[in-house]
Amino acid sequence: MGGPIASLHPLSRADGSASYKCPATGSNVLGSVNAPIELPGRRDALKPEDATIEVFVKPGTAPGGVGERHIEGILRGALGRIILGREKGYPRRGVVITLAVVGCDNIARGSSYLPILPALLHTSILALLSASVPLSMTFSATVLAVDSSGEIVCEPSSTDAAAAASLHVLAFTSQGHLLLNESEGRFDFDTWERVYERALAICHGTSALGSDGDVAMSENVDAQPLEGFVRDTVEDHIHREYAWKIDAA
Amino acid sequence: MASSATAPTAPPALSLPPSQFARLQPHAYLLAHLSPPASSQQPSIRANGRAPSQFRITSANTGSLTHTNGSAVVRLGDTTAVCGIKAEILHTEDIASWSVSHASSPSAPNKRRKLTNPTEKPGEDRQDGSSQAEDDDDNSYIEDFSLLVPNLSLSTGCAPGFIPGAPPSAHAQSLSHQILSLLHSSRLVRSEDLQIWYQRPNLGPEELERHNEDEQMDVDSAQDGSGGVASEVREIKAFWVLYIDIMIISLAGNPFDVAWTAVLAALRDTKLPRAWWDADNEAVVCSDLVSEARKLSLRGLPVSSSFGVFEADAASGWRAVIVPDAEEERKIAESDRKGIQRRWVLADPDGYEEGLAQERVCLVVDKVQQNGKIVIVKLEKNGGFAVDRKQMKELVETSVRRWQDINQILKEC
Amino acid sequence: MSSPLILLPGDEVPTDYLPSNGSAPLRLGPGLRLLSEAHPTPASTSKHVLTATQAGILSTDNKRNAISILSSSNRRYVPTPNDLVIAQVHHSSVDYFYCMITPQSPHAVLGQLSFEGATKKTRPMLQGGDLVYARVLSTGLGAGAEVEIACVNPATGKSEPGGLGPLKGGMVFDISTGFAARLIRASSAPSEQQEVAGLVVLDELGKKLEKVGGFEIAVGRNGKVWVDCSNSEDNAVRATVAIGRCLTAIDEHNLNPTDQRKLVTRILREMKIES
Repeated sequence: MGGPIASLHPLSRADGSASYKCPATGSNVLGSVNAPIELPGRRDALKPEDATIEVFVKPGTAPGGVGERHIEGILRGALGRIILGREKGYPRRGVVITLAVVGCDNIARGSSYLPILPALLHTSILALLSASVPLSMTFSATVLAVDSSGEIVCEPSSTDAAAAASLHVLAFTSQGHLLLNESEGRFDFDTWERVYERALAICHGTSALGSDGDVAMSENVDAQPLEGFVRDTVEDHIHREYAWKIDAA
Repeated sequence: MASSATAPTAPPALSLPPSQFARLQPHAYLLAHLSPPASSQQPSIRANGRAPSQFRITSANTGSLTHTNGSAVVRLGDTTAVCGIKAEILHTEDIASWSVSHASSPSAPNKRRKLTNPTEKPGEDRQDGSSQAEDDDDNSYIEDFSLLVPNLSLSTGCAPGFIPGAPPSAHAQSLSHQILSLLHSSRLVRSEDLQIWYQRPNLGPEELERHNEDEQMDVDSAQDGSGGVASEVREIKAFWVLYIDIMIISLAGNPFDVAWTAVLAALRDTKLPRAWWDADNEAVVCSDLVSEARKLSLRGLPVSSSFGVFEADAASGWRAVIVPDAEEERKIAESDRKGIQRRWVLADPDGYEEGLAQERVCLVVDKVQQNGKIVIVKLEKNGGFAVDRKQMKELVETSVRRWQDINQILKEC
Repeated sequence: MSSPLILLPGDEVPTDYLPSNGSAPLRLGPGLRLLSEAHPTPASTSKHVLTATQAGILSTDNKRNAISILSSSNRRYVPTPNDLVIAQVHHSSVDYFYCMITPQSPHAVLGQLSFEGATKKTRPMLQGGDLVYARVLSTGLGAGAEVEIACVNPATGKSEPGGLGPLKGGMVFDISTGFAARLIRASSAPSEQQEVAGLVVLDELGKKLEKVGGFEIAVGRNGKVWVDCSNSEDNAVRATVAIGRCLTAIDEHNLNPTDQRKLVTRILREMKIES
């Protein structure tokens, strides 16, 4: 099972865009960001001192439904804390993030959006970075399933996710805060703490707590922490774009 | 909301009634309540008079709508929800995928069963005695055929700003989805309650009713191929579909808790008439005897509690300050005990507080009847950095206390 | 410039990357912000940290004592005052020409008299579709403000910098905004300074096309480049297309100077332009 694949700025007409593909969960998302832009017709609804963030999630094969509205709300809440909407040029304007689910197993009505949530989160942060929207920090996210015997499965496939006793999506900021947590299923608090440890190890490579975290580390030795993945993707892109400058120096 | 006696905020020089102060400076108003000056000897209390972890007074009333199969009115402070459940019959012949996947072989529907069985721990106690294989069976019927259809409407007049004739807002849609996915993930309703069977006349009709173990054996034997006749005996002919309509008639914050409690109370109230397939008429027939109608047997009682995080520093968005990383954050939390508190986790935020709290936590917990174990069914946290592991643990404890209260309220209604 | 340091939002700027010129105040460019401690305790001296808010290369300017982040430059064009743009006239009114700078933004206004030496009687008669090379005068404040462009410096009445005004003939090619900025830097730099912004293509084309009559070029910050070779008579169209192809190919594939030279030679050969 390979790591995720991402590319920055695949769309030339948007301010920023990114595509993200996670082979393990089978999700593939293309996202674009336009910011700052004038939002038409709702000038009274715009906040005078802050940017308005809009997120649109478009499923690949079906028209959007209530599930998308819910996930849009989650994304807006998480990204709203990261985007510095009060920087110059942003107040009263909009940051519009459009995410198209290009490939994943079909999400039926009422079924969980959690398996694809990390891909949506990663696509939006990469697209925001490529659009140079001012951010206070970055983040990374992962999805974990706990099966009925209590084993943690990282980035479960859709069949694993369907069979799991509980599903968890956790996002950590680059400074280690728990930015977002979405858990469903049946689990107890100890299980959640184990999931937390493991997710922190996956996202950051280091564990905040010693003893338990070491186990998680050893299992993840070959895989790169996701935080580093986001960083590498962005650095690669900037290197390519400024190759002329770096070479000249 | 708060009387002037509890507002130490308005200095005598500036005579501003508290209600106006609350409107002009909502953040400062709430902060002043939560952190009264040390000299005033007043406890930290919210503007609405509650302690930070105190929920509003909750009341529930069931069965008030007579034309529904089950209904409930739940009131949490000034937020009120009405939930009505209407059961309708869905014939299996109307389900397009039914004949392909299910009718041909009764044991086929579950790919999931095969997946989960090898990993199942023999000694593990599942929630209430039913075997795991059956649970998964349940889940797939209810999810695949959409047997539960919740719809939440934030109707006109429940709060200012809801215009008549507008399409359902994103908020209402999001709440509908949350309720649907919680119904699915908590597996509250058993699909055997929703199944309408056809029993060949050679078996006694009394076996129509309760069939936990029997059915399991039937299916198993059919799987083995030894009971060719047995597999022919019973057949699902139709399902009950539960249309769960929730109407928020007054919205003053925290709609999800109220809506979910209303759903829970209404489901507990729901009675389905006895129904069976009549081979002669080729139709589903319901008994009109009230005594024969049965209640749903729900799995547990997942209770939802929501929290909002109120940050002391209103200017944190304006002023560029160093956001301490998670490690430093923990140290700060330690020193909180001694010095000034920087944030409060407010249980059951009302509409006023919701506007001031960016970070939300929603916890749904259940207590297993047999062993008293706490099970978390849903844990959502979004919109901020404040709630970490330690705070989460405290919130789970608060939610468990809340579970006791709601359990009591629902029992009494 | 030492090894380039790439920062992501939230990263602190290491102190050894700050300009050493201690006396002058430090200027912060885009993509950086100064954070102060949230709860300054009287015991500790106030602590300040510089962090990035955009992903990009940290660039320091020791002369101006400035520091900024070079972030991804290929983005939608947002007009800023003093940018040179290539605009297309859409329609006109009594006082203004309404011009399109980018397809997605509202029209910019160009005064009928904002041309060098224009009076009520001598103003240029521009039709819809005509091109102008103009300078962004103001972008206005707030939402929905009009962008105003001009082909003349209102202070002097001259078309400064030279070349502003209607563009006649030639052809416009679309390039990325980042590449447009590089082209402007390369073309405005003194000619003896080689390889400004890593671009040799204009010099190379200039040398090779000198014999066939040379060419004119105007680069707009809005991602447009206008090329005209009308001096080269029967080669005019071919040379124009060749230059356009060179520019778009270099933009697309991010070629280095050696490859740029190779590309120019190859395309000119393909287009059968003898040099």
